[in-house]
Amino acid sequence: MKGRVLLVTAGTLAVVLAGCGSGGESAVPPAGGATTSPDLFKDAPVAEAAAILPGSTMERIKQRGKLIVAEALDAPLLSQQNPSNPDEVTGFDADLAKLLAVYILGKPEVEIVPPATETREALLANGTVDVVFNTYTITEERATQVAFAGPYFESGLAVAVKSGNTGIKGVDDLGGRKVIVGANTPAVTEVPKVQPTAQIITFGTDPQAVTALLQGRGDAYVQDLTILASDAKANPQLSVVGNPFTKEPYGIGLKHGDDDFKKFVNDWLKKVQDGGQWAQAWKSSLGTVVDSAPPTPPAIGSVPGS
Amino acid sequence: MAVLYDAPGPRARRRIAIWSAVSGVVLAVLLGLGLWQFARHGQLDAARWAPFTQWPIWKYLLVGLLGTLEAAAYVAVLSAVAGVFLALGRLSGVRVVRWLATGYIEIARTLPVLLMIYVTLFALPSVGVNLPLLWKLALPLTVANAAAFAEIFRAGILSLPRGQSEAALSLGMTRAQAMRYVVLPQAVRHVTPSLVSQLVSLLKDTSLGYVVAFTELLYRAQVLSAYNHLLVQTFLVVTFIYLVCNGSLSFVAHRLRRSSERTHG
Amino acid sequence: MQALLGDLGPLLQGLLTTLWMAVLSAVGALALGVIVTAMRVSPIPVLRGVAFAYVQLFLNVPLLALLVLFVFALPDAGLLMPLPMTAVVVLVIYEAAYVAEAVRSGVNTVALGQAEAARALGLTFRQTLGSVILPQALRAVVQPVGNVMIALVMNTSLFAAVGIVELTAAANKTNLIHAQPIPIFVGAGLTYMVLALLIGLGTGWLERRVAIVR
Repeated sequence: MKGRVLLVTAGTLAVVLAGCGSGGESAVPPAGGATTSPDLFKDAPVAEAAAILPGSTMERIKQRGKLIVAEALDAPLLSQQNPSNPDEVTGFDADLAKLLAVYILGKPEVEIVPPATETREALLANGTVDVVFNTYTITEERATQVAFAGPYFESGLAVAVKSGNTGIKGVDDLGGRKVIVGANTPAVTEVPKVQPTAQIITFGTDPQAVTALLQGRGDAYVQDLTILASDAKANPQLSVVGNPFTKEPYGIGLKHGDDDFKKFVNDWLKKVQDGGQWAQAWKSSLGTVVDSAPPTPPAIGSVPGS
Repeated sequence: MAVLYDAPGPRARRRIAIWSAVSGVVLAVLLGLGLWQFARHGQLDAARWAPFTQWPIWKYLLVGLLGTLEAAAYVAVLSAVAGVFLALGRLSGVRVVRWLATGYIEIARTLPVLLMIYVTLFALPSVGVNLPLLWKLALPLTVANAAAFAEIFRAGILSLPRGQSEAALSLGMTRAQAMRYVVLPQAVRHVTPSLVSQLVSLLKDTSLGYVVAFTELLYRAQVLSAYNHLLVQTFLVVTFIYLVCNGSLSFVAHRLRRSSERTHG
Repeated sequence: MQALLGDLGPLLQGLLTTLWMAVLSAVGALALGVIVTAMRVSPIPVLRGVAFAYVQLFLNVPLLALLVLFVFALPDAGLLMPLPMTAVVVLVIYEAAYVAEAVRSGVNTVALGQAEAARALGLTFRQTLGSVILPQALRAVVQPVGNVMIALVMNTSLFAAVGIVELTAAANKTNLIHAQPIPIFVGAGLTYMVLALLIGLGTGWLERRVAIVR
């Protein structure tokens, strides 16, 4: 009997797979197609020896020979692992982390530790990771637990709906509607601020939220604009409407109280912004889904908490 | 347990055949309806399944499976052995041993595994104990599963007729010998379904490895579905992999039990 | 920490949700599990086969994968249910497989002579199972079933991933605002622990009361 169950399951799958006889090449394309151009690191700035203060975090990283970064593996355009080549992690956050590694070590030696969102502060506090590059929004509460360098990018929350839904044109139309948000994202607190009558439904991951929206479990999906843009590009049934209604400044998470390292990282950030590597990293990741020139990076230290 | 009902006569056989046919048809219709609806929503499109005909994707998932199996193997062996000792401790005549064993089992059984993982992830490093990644996942799982195994073994031991241990003792065996040669083997055979259940459940608990960034199958499924935007297909494939993997485990255990039953009776 | 203590409302609300979902799922899982075990030992081959396939399927697949499939794949197969209902249904179906396995090992421990005696007395299959075998089987497996119930309560925390605001989801949300993972998650963990402890004590008491003195 057990053999029969397996046979039926295998048979169903085989029939389905056989149906794609000639379609071997037409695999669903990955999100946005973020690629790291190899010459991104060629002219990237490297810190002078004097900047690596003795006894500092930078020196420890240099002696270890690699930078340990808390970043995601499943965030398309920001830091996404390529299943066909698991050593390749591409995206805006990923590239910036590699640039920081080049600044300290001279080569992009990075070890990635994917954090669960609730573990980011603790990972920094007990030294398991050196930095957090994880669309880590700077807030004052978080600033009491970790130090933030940057902000290095400013995004905002936007609204997406099923294509063809003309009833919702932006966040102002969300009153009294069912709104899907991602668990542990800023949208959880921001949407009720702007639309207290909206009914919030949270889902754990972005693919789940998109599927839920398309199946009618909610009227709209509120998420960071960069993620929505990448979803819309991969899925024509989804459209982004209206303009971003909040400002989300991303910061680089550092261990609380490590002022030397914070100054060091801020110096690096200024250098890559001036040197064009920041704009180049943006263009090859987020820039592939947005039709505009690279935005001006936010001023360092301009946000409370940074 | 064919002993529960009489051998069916001709009328009963006909009734059984009719009901079997009816329920078979109903099942087939429901399944067919579901599949047709599925296809209508485009979920059976070739383009959506094509990525899973490529070897690199399977390799990615299978490497995750290897991680799952490795962690599960360590945890299974360690916690089963610990479980036997804990069960014996809980049934011991020495009061201190009994208290300690009971205390451990009750506490470990009720602590959420996720919390124990957080402890090995955060609390231990701050006192200087930084375990290798595999053990950050395996240690909390072992602690939790040892208690679960202990309870299963204890239920098995207690379900044996007392006559067995009485006979063993009257033959001159010590309590330890009676336990080892008479009681435990039969108890284990009685609760094999529960044991295999626990083993499979343990294997699935390794998916908590995402908290410590351990490479296992379910996390890789999430990364993959973020990459290819094919949530349903990815999870169907991964469900299939788990089914095959755990199903084979149950099958092997079933076979082993059958053969031991034949030799020991 | 002060701000945290003032914000306990959502956490208690989450705990309430956890409790009622756990109780509902537990009742359903127990009922369905016993029915499946009965099917497993019944004279009709199709029922036996379905019960076997059912247990094998849900025993071997992780709950998270099942939740994702039920919540996101089922609507495309034609069945769109409200989220809490879907979650409870998934948990009932999943845990019932474990209950069925535990009860089955209980049925195996009942001495063969019991069933033979029942048949010799002329009892039908339903009477044998209902009045003789199952009562003894259930009394022998109080602890393993208790284990399953504890696992059920812990598994309600997975609902957080699909939009139900129970204790774990409420803890995550509170942490998002206050950024104090240690007190929040230790508190939530201890709450689960208290629940499991209560179940453990309950099964211990129940076991002593219904233990078969041999």
